[in-house]
Amino acid sequence: MAKYAITGQQAAVSGSYKTVLDVFATSGALRRGKVFDVLIGTNGTPADNFLQWDISRMTADGTGTAVTPNPLDPSDVAALATAKANYTAEPTITANSSLLNVGVNQRASYRWVAAPGSELLFPAVAGNGLALRTLSGGYTGSATGGVMYEEQ
Amino acid sequence: MLRPGGYACIADADGGRRECDTFTCGHCNRITHVAARQAPEDIGGLCKVCMALICAACVGRPCVPFLETLDRMEARARFRREI
Repeated sequence: MAKYAITGQQAAVSGSYKTVLDVFATSGALRRGKVFDVLIGTNGTPADNFLQWDISRMTADGTGTAVTPNPLDPSDVAALATAKANYTAEPTITANSSLLNVGVNQRASYRWVAAPGSELLFPAVAGNGLALRTLSGGYTGSATGGVMYEEQ
Repeated sequence: MLRPGGYACIADADGGRRECDTFTCGHCNRITHVAARQAPEDIGGLCKVCMALICAACVGRPCVPFLETLDRMEARARFRREI
């Protein structure tokens, strides 16, 4: 059960949800995943705006930049899941599947860590995974996210 | 809370920190933030069938543990691949 870290950003936050980072099972090489650590923030010009963050389930990929999951233990094998960031065409998000929804100031950062057994799970089904998304009514800069997950 | 399922922390720009326990719903896998001294009935409940903490949206609904939901999703996908 190897653990991996992925980081990414969304370069153009807008008033509708845009995916910062996601991880999903890839066809052919399927493993169940468990997200146990989420860290979010911004790296644009500081100002007072809100950002609404959301983690929802996805069932199909969109258009994003590939991210290579880094094993927390260097002796672990490469991840089987696919991770992407900075989406320009959104993945297919399952309606009403929000698992985490939190609003924070642009100047703030938020971190959530799961206790063992309380992770966010995604199935070993091709294209299924979890998407970290954000929106803001006033901020149009860059938002960053970091996720750690385990492949089972 | 006793035996929390996670921990959340907001680090504000003014140097302040807001921290709270969380739990992950045993039925839908959603994260619920638990503020200090919050009434248990306001944030969900305990499923007496699977003995898991559940979120407010799952209270009163039939017990379907999320791990069973995952198993069904994977079984359905396997079946689709095989036909």
